[in-house]
Amino acid sequence: MDVGQILHALLFDYTLRTVALGTAILGLVSGTLGAFALLRRQSLMGDAISHAALPGVVLAFMLTGLKGPLVLMTGAALAGIAGVLLVIAITTHTRLKQDTALGIILSVFFGFGLMLLTFLQQNPDARQAGLNHFLFGQAATLLAGDVAVMALFGSAALALTLLCWKEFKLLSFDRDFGASLGFPMRRLEVLITVLLVVAIVIGLQAVGVVLMSAMIVAPAAAARQWTDRLGVMVALSASFGALAGVAGTAISSLASGLSTGPVIVLCISAIAVFSLILAPNRGLLWAWLRQRQHRQTFATVNHP
Amino acid sequence: MSASLEIQMIAIVVAAACALPGVFLVLRSMAMMADAISHTVLLGIVLAFFLVQDLQSPWLLIGAAVVGVVTVSLVELLNRTRLVKQDAAIGLVFPALFSLAVILISRFARGVHLDVDAVLLGELAFAPFDRVTLFGLDLPHALVTMSVILALTVAFITLFYKELKLSTFDAGLAASLGFAPAVLHYGLMTLVSVTAVGAFDAVGVVLVVALMITPAAAAYLLTNNLRTMLFLSVGIAIASAIGGYWLARLLNANIAGAMATVTGFIFLGVFLLAPQRGMLAIAQRRRRQRMEFAQSMLAIHLLNHEGSPEALEESRVDHLHDHIRWQPKFAGQVVGYATRKGIVQPQGGALRLTDQGRRLAQEAMLQ
Amino acid sequence: MNAAIAVTDLTVAYHDKPVLWDVDLSVPPGVLMAIVGPNGAGKTTLIKAILGLTPAAAGQVLIDGKPYAAQRQRVGYVPQRGSVDWDFPTNVLDVVMMGRYGALGWFRRPGRRERNLAMDALAKVGMQEFAQRQISQLSGGQQQRVFLARAIVQDADVYFMDEPFQGVDAITERAIVGLLKDLRGAGKTVLVVHHDLQTVPEYFDWVTLLNVRRIASGPVSAVFTEENLRLTYGGRIAFVTVAANPATVQAGTALPAITSATA
Repeated sequence: MDVGQILHALLFDYTLRTVALGTAILGLVSGTLGAFALLRRQSLMGDAISHAALPGVVLAFMLTGLKGPLVLMTGAALAGIAGVLLVIAITTHTRLKQDTALGIILSVFFGFGLMLLTFLQQNPDARQAGLNHFLFGQAATLLAGDVAVMALFGSAALALTLLCWKEFKLLSFDRDFGASLGFPMRRLEVLITVLLVVAIVIGLQAVGVVLMSAMIVAPAAAARQWTDRLGVMVALSASFGALAGVAGTAISSLASGLSTGPVIVLCISAIAVFSLILAPNRGLLWAWLRQRQHRQTFATVNHP
Repeated sequence: MSASLEIQMIAIVVAAACALPGVFLVLRSMAMMADAISHTVLLGIVLAFFLVQDLQSPWLLIGAAVVGVVTVSLVELLNRTRLVKQDAAIGLVFPALFSLAVILISRFARGVHLDVDAVLLGELAFAPFDRVTLFGLDLPHALVTMSVILALTVAFITLFYKELKLSTFDAGLAASLGFAPAVLHYGLMTLVSVTAVGAFDAVGVVLVVALMITPAAAAYLLTNNLRTMLFLSVGIAIASAIGGYWLARLLNANIAGAMATVTGFIFLGVFLLAPQRGMLAIAQRRRRQRMEFAQSMLAIHLLNHEGSPEALEESRVDHLHDHIRWQPKFAGQVVGYATRKGIVQPQGGALRLTDQGRRLAQEAMLQ
Repeated sequence: MNAAIAVTDLTVAYHDKPVLWDVDLSVPPGVLMAIVGPNGAGKTTLIKAILGLTPAAAGQVLIDGKPYAAQRQRVGYVPQRGSVDWDFPTNVLDVVMMGRYGALGWFRRPGRRERNLAMDALAKVGMQEFAQRQISQLSGGQQQRVFLARAIVQDADVYFMDEPFQGVDAITERAIVGLLKDLRGAGKTVLVVHHDLQTVPEYFDWVTLLNVRRIASGPVSAVFTEENLRLTYGGRIAFVTVAANPATVQAGTALPAITSATA
């Protein structure tokens, strides 16, 4: 299939269009909230939240018997928030550092989720088979209803981010100064973390628990290389995320049996590597060229 | 040996092999790096497998070790460019390598035992089926592999104990003394990679991190002594392994997941109940200290304003919570306690500092 | 007339170890005051506790007679330079405009008015050409000036500054002193955590000596004495003989401490 055919399919094939839309939304939202996470050095929190979401998804199904996106996402969100709260509790009340707390929550919650999942699978009811896809994602199974829920929560998250733009900027850059101005920085921190959880939860179906964290880090890291302005960075991050989502979906639909998660992650990683090397000014290639130029200038100055 | 016993033995060996390096990972704040490595070793396994086409080959371990070092190097490299911070560097490197591995497996290694799900879950229950003959004994392959790795780990830690200890707590001093902290660092990470690979077949990626980090973290809340911490970590890890096995049997669920869950429970228990550093102990200590502290504060407050025009005002009991940020109820408790201990004397609605109280205030100020 | 800043019984404890004990402070309006003390004396904690950034175990803060919480609009803050990641993607003008966020309140975006105010403030610190400069490209002195501009744009009555002279070049230091004196001249009250004892008499009119407790507070001439410095710094202070420079010594001024050599 050539590019033209792929584009045609994306636009006119109902299933592919739905899926692409879903992953685009995922990319937009995770790119946006990921930018703030990156700047606040909370990149790996995203990893912990995604892994922590697994038992939430399984429990939601176990308790309600329903497999609808709303139910599962709510379960995931609640578990994700619980994970964050526990990480904060561990770092606040003990001498353990944040990386250790993240590692504990990540592995314990995920292990618990796996235990519940396999416990469930004894259940001859085949409905829960879909839960498997939460590991690596299966965007191909996205239905219009799923995408609608993603769009709803995604746009709410984006709207709130836009609304609280300067407050979030203050939180990320100079928290104490913001507090001195009278803004409730702790509540803002809670809000931005909840939005991050929402961003992650939205993407779980498509990218899966294991790899969702990449969608938080990579678009933002890539975007940062191209600009020094926050607004542009966030917009770029969102765009990169969406691009990787759609591209990854399209590519993984070409081959059979490929989970979308890994393909999307490879796409966004490629974008990140490309940005790190080629972005003007910060890019490594330009830095190397600049160094060479300096050395040549220096050489000619010393050896006229 | 029954399958059940063999599984538990494997679990014990895996637990010990993971808990030991885990202690250093926690102390050096390398937990997430270990998480990254435990994911990326899969790529090493896949690439090595493509070369040798043999799942039992020791080349897989070597491939994993190489990729583990590559992971750390890449993160370090990225960090040094200053284009991304370290946490972001980790979050960039490992998903990319892991995704590559997953795709390679699902495209080119279908039907081989390298099943993607197995990567994450591992299935200890199947371990006894994979056997090897060693010295005339018929043993599970996983047991042999992990025992060797455990031996290597113990050897590494014993040999380099001094250096590890010093470079963990004072990297600068270690470097100036000629121990190369970087070499130790990469050595440790190689060990982590090899352990992760050895364990992945039996228990999967998840459990490796859980067994490395969680028992060590719990041990760190129980002791300050490195040797004790090592022993405690191993003990907790083994307890989690056995406990997890039986929990999984009870629920007919995945063994690795159950073990990870049990490490979590044990950690929770320690978090709440550890002497000194547990939440309960802290709360009790806080309550006691708060009252003692409040006594000193009251004494100093009275002493500061003694003999000054506002003395009467400042020492009125019912105005205490205006000047000092105490709830009226707590202020009452403090005054009651202070009166009983002879620090203050109530004098018609106001408080007078006794000699003992004056001494208390002066001692407190000398600190 | 109310004191510009009135602190009573301020006590801050960290894990039940006192960092600030029962500190009283009364600062009259229009004064430029230094807060000095050894490391760990609680100077930064004092400012943070006054501003509510650190919880206090006890004490009250009044700004011009009213509780601090009601007077936020009238208070400006310059935190330590190192408290911020200067690699953040933003430019100088943007940082200065953050000073107007308090006045804007929730959700409203800064507009032309804020932009002009910010440019004015930048002009006052001599940084207007740097308005579009990415903050990671600034030198230490330039960063400090940007922080000051951000405080100036708040148009406050009382300013709290944490080590504004730390790590800046001599020219910037002189410029900052000039700025502080202008602020005082305009009737503002300025409290500065300061690390360099040598320059206290030259830059400030009032000083507070702090070491967990308030040792002394008042006009420099009265309070900045060898006796008080010894009390504040314990044994950790050396007095050095300096040949009196006629240019800086005025008749009748008690130039403290710089009169005898002691270990």
